[in-house]
Amino acid sequence: MKALVADDSAVMRRILIGALSRLGITETDEAENGEDAVVAFAGGGYGLVLLDWNMPKLNGFEALKKIRSEDAHVPIIMVTAEAEKDRVIEALKAGANNYVIKPFKPDVIGRKIEETLARVGSK
Amino acid sequence: MKVEYINPFIASVVEALETMLDCDARRGETRVVKAGEQHKDVTGLIGLSGAARGTVALSFPNRTALQVVSRLLGEPASEADDETVCDGVAELVNIVAGGAKSYFCRKGGTPIEVSLPTVIKGNNYTVSHPTGTVWLEVPFDCALGSFSLQVTFDNNGEQTRKQQ
Repeated sequence: MKALVADDSAVMRRILIGALSRLGITETDEAENGEDAVVAFAGGGYGLVLLDWNMPKLNGFEALKKIRSEDAHVPIIMVTAEAEKDRVIEALKAGANNYVIKPFKPDVIGRKIEETLARVGSK
Repeated sequence: MKVEYINPFIASVVEALETMLDCDARRGETRVVKAGEQHKDVTGLIGLSGAARGTVALSFPNRTALQVVSRLLGEPASEADDETVCDGVAELVNIVAGGAKSYFCRKGGTPIEVSLPTVIKGNNYTVSHPTGTVWLEVPFDCALGSFSLQVTFDNNGEQTRKQQ
């Protein structure tokens, strides 16, 4: 399975890619803003998308809506410091399958990814 | 700016270090930063807007910044380059601001928004304070070294306080 990791922090992308790798997901592409994430996703073939919220050019919430309009089934997890309940609800309503709030313990992100893939399915 | 406005940021720093770095951060006494004081080597800044306008900053000596970012990545400190260290500090201040923002929101205030982070590297500069703004600083010490949190709000944070 190929995963798309979108976060404007290269450090956070490395952390997330490390977590994916420990789950055996070694094929990953990176995007440093929402616009690049949408363009990359249009290239196709992703079985999982991890999206930050606060990113330049296009934020993660807008990217989520665009990606979801292209693909109703791909598992999408928001991984963000936006911790307000309203934001979580907004993202889930817009089609996010899970929501991970930063800061997170290293093992938590892996569990959330596994849980999401088990629930939503992967391709 | 009242001292208690800094409390959500302090709590957020402690939580971020404990959760992501498995590190206990011990805080020192809050103090007012004097105009013209020199900052530490690596400073991550984020602007706050909306109901309250201000800035939050995390400031590290080089060595502490390197240790913190290396721990964040789970890699040896020798492998982290300057760009990675700055990026890691930016992400940390983003997480701290996000946590504090959520606290203000839970307390019933109108949501504040956070900007994208900026990092200043080097200590050969001073910061001038616009009239009426006060910077509060809280020093921290942890197993990875010392660092400090600085916060300021425009209008003395009055809007935030009224909405809590």
